[in-house]
Amino acid sequence: MSDSNGIVLRMENITKTFPGVVALDNVSIDLYKGEVLGILGENGAGKSTLIKILAGNYIKDSGDIFIDGQKFEIKGPAEAMSSGIRVIYQELNTINNLTVAENIFIGEQLVKGPLKIIDWKGMNKKAEELLAVMNVKLDPNAIIGDLTVSEKQIVEIAKAISQEAKILVMDEPTAALSEEETQSLFKIIQALKTKGVAIIYISHRLKEIFEITDRVTVLRDGKKVGTLKTKESDSNKLVEMMVGRDIKDMYPKRHVPIGGVVMEVNNLGAEGFDNISFKLRKGEILGIFGLLGSGRSSLVKALFGANKIKNGEIIVNGKKLRIKSPGMARDAKIGLVPLDRKIEGLALMMGVKENITLANIKELGKSFLIARNQERRKAGNWVDEIGIRTPSVEQEVNSLSGGNQQKVVLAKWLESGSQIIILNEPTRGVDVGAKIEIYKLMQDLCEKGSSIIMISSELPEILSIADRIIVMSKGRFTEEYKICDASEEGLLRSACL
Amino acid sequence: MVDDKTVDVLQKKKVRLNNTAILFLILVVMFALFSYVGRPFFFSKLNLIPMINNLSFVGIIAAILTMVMVSGEIDFSIGGNIGLTACLTALLLEKGLPGWLVVIIALAGGFAMGAFNGMLVTVVGVNSIIATIGTMFIWRGIGYTITNGESKLALNTVIDYIGRGFVFKVIPFPIVLLVAVFIITYIIMNHSKWGRRIYAIGANPLASFLSGINVKKVKFIGFLFCGAAAALGGLVLTSLSAVGMPQHGQGQELVIISAIILGGTALGGGRGQILGTLAGVFILSVLYNFLTIMNIYYFYIQMVQGSVLILVVSTYEIRQAVARRRT
Repeated sequence: MSDSNGIVLRMENITKTFPGVVALDNVSIDLYKGEVLGILGENGAGKSTLIKILAGNYIKDSGDIFIDGQKFEIKGPAEAMSSGIRVIYQELNTINNLTVAENIFIGEQLVKGPLKIIDWKGMNKKAEELLAVMNVKLDPNAIIGDLTVSEKQIVEIAKAISQEAKILVMDEPTAALSEEETQSLFKIIQALKTKGVAIIYISHRLKEIFEITDRVTVLRDGKKVGTLKTKESDSNKLVEMMVGRDIKDMYPKRHVPIGGVVMEVNNLGAEGFDNISFKLRKGEILGIFGLLGSGRSSLVKALFGANKIKNGEIIVNGKKLRIKSPGMARDAKIGLVPLDRKIEGLALMMGVKENITLANIKELGKSFLIARNQERRKAGNWVDEIGIRTPSVEQEVNSLSGGNQQKVVLAKWLESGSQIIILNEPTRGVDVGAKIEIYKLMQDLCEKGSSIIMISSELPEILSIADRIIVMSKGRFTEEYKICDASEEGLLRSACL
Repeated sequence: MVDDKTVDVLQKKKVRLNNTAILFLILVVMFALFSYVGRPFFFSKLNLIPMINNLSFVGIIAAILTMVMVSGEIDFSIGGNIGLTACLTALLLEKGLPGWLVVIIALAGGFAMGAFNGMLVTVVGVNSIIATIGTMFIWRGIGYTITNGESKLALNTVIDYIGRGFVFKVIPFPIVLLVAVFIITYIIMNHSKWGRRIYAIGANPLASFLSGINVKKVKFIGFLFCGAAAALGGLVLTSLSAVGMPQHGQGQELVIISAIILGGTALGGGRGQILGTLAGVFILSVLYNFLTIMNIYYFYIQMVQGSVLILVVSTYEIRQAVARRRT
């Protein structure tokens, strides 16, 4: 079906603007039959917008889309589907209380007989075949809710290819996968390639781009920077193209003098962990490392008063505290930048200034009224001080990039005067440039006398930024490392104890 | 890094004003049209004052309930609360208690009912739809029980004044109440720290909690005052009708919630404007009044009211979808 060049999809001079932002500026891509094209770019580079246009979720302002050499107007998701475009989004769309087979065939269940009764047997059988093609063992009758995230991802892929996919788009498919699961996903991708499916693979993980893609297109600020053959590129080159400048140091680390103990945790226990003790010193960045289920997030919630403490004690600045609510933690000058900023950190439909002052509303003026000018000034100061890129302090935070959203969450705690700041995966979903800024910011804070507890599962990050690392496994403390003694292997070993 | 701040502020104001402004525009057009079509009776003191008195009791409750709804909760028990308050008022007057004391007891009863709802939702953790549908039946059931299902006269100088009195001999007292409640709720919602907490909780309860806001307390107080507002509405209605009966306020919860939703408040919380609610209350009441004086059969009126609600909310959805398409 494809034309003589083998080009399945051509997007030409696609432009899309949102109020105040040009999300895509004359971007063109080609996609050949049976190839994997990587699309690389920082958050806000326009990757998602491009995909959403292809999937029919957004309508382009201008430009043309050709499928198999023919001009094609995508007016909605249904048209995109009918022309063989399948998109697997980062957020899973599986339905938890249905079975694997039901999810795969959702919307087009197999039916039999004149009454169009659902053909369960046929559906299960076909699902099984499909999963076998992908080389995975998964019971078609299993309930999705009982599966792991990666298994759900596999179901999503099965769903996508159950309907004759010609063009398969994967948006950060490995975000929730382990190394092993990633490898089996790659096998599936290889298998699909040989069947002639053209694949667009979006990721910000360079390693994967090198491993799986044939060519890679780099976007920056809504513009295409270039397309390279993967074999002919290297990571320095790609990062440079992504960021627009040469990055010498991904993990800038400064020496900050470390002072006395500001927080002491003794034999703390709560849901998800027990018997955790540590000391945090002034100006220190204490790293906490652990795998999924190690209890690190539970620990953070308990420290912050969001989860009930069962036993043990927390001593802040020499005073024993009973932190029963986040309000009490805030009053003890403890701040939390949570794991999922969109769900736990921000009121997305509110403005930058409302979010910055969220934890400290009572200080917004002397009376019961909000002193608007004061609020605007306070928020504006933080915007300038930590470099939040926003058109104004009134801007809805929803429209900011991940890195800037993260800075807004941080500003919220700075505004309420936090001295101990707990950051749970501070650079998750944040682009390279903003990551570096956040690392610098953390150290600025330490220089000014704050202390930081950083939970991170990114090894290079924690090894470079933390001053000391404690490792948790299955809700227990396993090992403490001075930074000079810590290594990737060591941390991983301790995390599996 | 704040650039072209002013432009953005203006743009945002414009967008925010739109829905409410349009509602008031509709109201003005409706009012003009009805005054013409329904002349001379519609635009006469004889029609407008009872209309506004009736509207006041709806509006007082709607204003407070808007705060509850913006915080992401809802209160269906207001109708039952009105009925019980009316019965309680009439019974206490019958017992010979002085009017001012009856008013205090009735309002205290309202606070108690609100506190009960608030406890169910924030302490026990019952979903507010379920909790308040439950208490709606309970309040009305108690009303039936204490009055034996009979209506009782409620005549007393203080009570009379609440619904039918005039301030400075010209302004009906319910209107004074209405204006006062709207000014207070407007200031709270648009300018106070408390209102900010309400919006934040509605926008994201978990993030608000993790920012140190006492979510349960804010919600509880919302229910508390919603109960009191419903009792105040019950007092106005009792006074207007001069009787207390358990059927008072039946079905009013849906009328009030309709008016709030018509005014642009989102069911899920986080969005809503006090002025929008005011417009919603006026539109539904003016429409109802006009159709009634035009001698439209009551069954048809109901259909019209329902259609208007659906029409307006559909318009919101379409406008939002269009806006989303653009962004």
